[in-house]
Amino acid sequence: MARFYLENGKVAAFIGHLQQQKTVYAPHRKGRNAFAFAPVDRPQDVVLDYPRTVSSIKRYFLPPREELLSFNLVENTCEQPVVAPLDAVFLGVHSYDVHAVLKLDHNFVSGNPERNYLTRRQGALIVGVGFTPDRFHFSGSVGVPAGDTTGCDLFLHPCEGGYALEALTPDGEGLVAGFPLPAHTAGLPAAAPFHQHIYVPQAKLKDVLAHGYDSEVWEEEAEKCTSCGTCNLVCPTCYCFDVEDAVDITVTRGSRERRWDGCLLRSFTEVAGGEVFREEPAARQRHRVFRKFKYISDETGEPWCVGCGRCTASCTAGISIVSIVNRLVNDHDAVKA
Amino acid sequence: MANKPRVGIFDFTGCEGCELNQLNFEDQLLDILEHVEIVEWREAMDGRAESLDIAFVEGALSTPDCIKRIHEIRRKSKVLVALGACAVQGGINALKNIRPIEQVREEVYGQDKYLFPTLPALPLSAVVKVDVNIRGCPMTQLEFLKVFTALVMGKAPVEPGNAVCTECKLKDNECVYEKGMICLGPVTRAGCDAQCPTFGQYCTGCRGLVPEPNVEAMEEILVAHGLSMDDARKKLQMFNANQLEGVS
Ligand code: SF4
Ligand code: SF4
Ligand code: SF4
Ligand code: SF4
Repeated sequence: MARFYLENGKVAAFIGHLQQQKTVYAPHRKGRNAFAFAPVDRPQDVVLDYPRTVSSIKRYFLPPREELLSFNLVENTCEQPVVAPLDAVFLGVHSYDVHAVLKLDHNFVSGNPERNYLTRRQGALIVGVGFTPDRFHFSGSVGVPAGDTTGCDLFLHPCEGGYALEALTPDGEGLVAGFPLPAHTAGLPAAAPFHQHIYVPQAKLKDVLAHGYDSEVWEEEAEKCTSCGTCNLVCPTCYCFDVEDAVDITVTRGSRERRWDGCLLRSFTEVAGGEVFREEPAARQRHRVFRKFKYISDETGEPWCVGCGRCTASCTAGISIVSIVNRLVNDHDAVKA
Repeated sequence: MANKPRVGIFDFTGCEGCELNQLNFEDQLLDILEHVEIVEWREAMDGRAESLDIAFVEGALSTPDCIKRIHEIRRKSKVLVALGACAVQGGINALKNIRPIEQVREEVYGQDKYLFPTLPALPLSAVVKVDVNIRGCPMTQLEFLKVFTALVMGKAPVEPGNAVCTECKLKDNECVYEKGMICLGPVTRAGCDAQCPTFGQYCTGCRGLVPEPNVEAMEEILVAHGLSMDDARKKLQMFNANQLEGVS
């Protein structure tokens, strides 16, 4: 399909062109050093060159807090809110976050299909953008190079003076239609290298993790860990949630809310009667890492981590998933060598 | 409702900020009174009640008289609710516990110190059984209403057990550590909707520590971000001096 040249000076106008067609969500500066996806108001506020957003675009399909139903205790009735397809463009998404959405699609289609997520997902178009890996990204090690266009309708490859805008689907072509752009004929610049690596492929990690189940690394990392749950909540492939009912001050009406939860949190493993089924922080850390590289991966053959580096970048204790996995690789190789 | 629950409101050592916060409920106060009958409240009425369904108690226990009164309140109440950081953890009053009590008395009352018997500032739970905690300095209206409606319905209120970080992340906040600040969110109980980090401030831990907090890890984090171990300890003591000493 076609490739166009979008010079830097035309980016804002192009975003305006997208806004005329659909709601556009894109990265914005949030606070001093952070970035977050938000609906675009003024195109000039969009930041396309950013390291990573606090959380991924997952939050638009699986909202952090969501009303599942509202009820009336007097009339004994309940109602589900209307959930509609998003019909929006997600602009400036990094390749790993697109892969994460595709993984969530898999999780939410399998078994009991997740109606709300799948409904919102319909009609969402994705415009990817390349990125320069920082010291936390390692998506290259889990099969997602910075310039990977999988799952995108359009992709912005950073190049001299602007972007090579690649159309990948008819929907993507439709988004560009009506915005005159010259063809991009030069080759694409070579992708920037990663600074973090997991040194073995998923096929081997399967055995590495099995071997590392009783490793000392879990206890060592747990000593530094506050069980704050941040690593789960920022992860684009985590999808666990908690559900709570609450009534309002009339004591006759209320609603059921779902909100993100995560396996590092002690309360996540607390069940009726106060029993905590994964009491040790070390066991919870192991569970998280196994969820990313073993449990789902053994079924699908793919790592369930996309290498965004968020869990490590936002862990105040500096716990690194890459270090944990590489440590297990070394331990495994030392024994098997 | 035929028989409205009989409610009493009591205060001990604290700034009465939590109670005043109740008075600020303006729009909701009438709704609240729909469901309960307030029968004892020093700030707004005279007299004492014989028995209560729910006692809301604010403030820390810090004198022999406090101990006597809290036992009385407990004896006549079916459900006892601790309101705010002072009642739940001892609050900032408990900072006095980390210094010799005689020195504290002398500094505050000078030569009159013998007129004012004083004890270490204790959370209610150190002396009587507390059924429900409403945390925060001051407590929030939102949480009060949540607990209140649960009690009126005869249900056990859910007490948040996660760290403040969870609420920060749900809101897509920038972590204040990213700005070179420190924060006690990783070991502090959620339920405030991470209001301080949301406004760019750090969490001082006013809602108390999470269950089974990893205090050593928190201290290491603070030290790794530039605090001395002594300052790290002091930051944690501000609202949690009792918990750090195992008093709760
Ligand atoms: S973000 Fe770090 S400290 Fe918090 S739960 Fe995860 S590993 Fe532990
Ligand atoms: S485990 Fe960490 S690096 Fe992997 S996808 Fe989740 S947040 Fe990103
Ligand atoms: S600002 Fe504080 S509460 Fe929020 S994520 Fe950072 S450490 Fe946790
Ligand atoms: S963020 Fe921390 S200090 Fe602020 S209200 Fe919440 S618990 Fe208290």
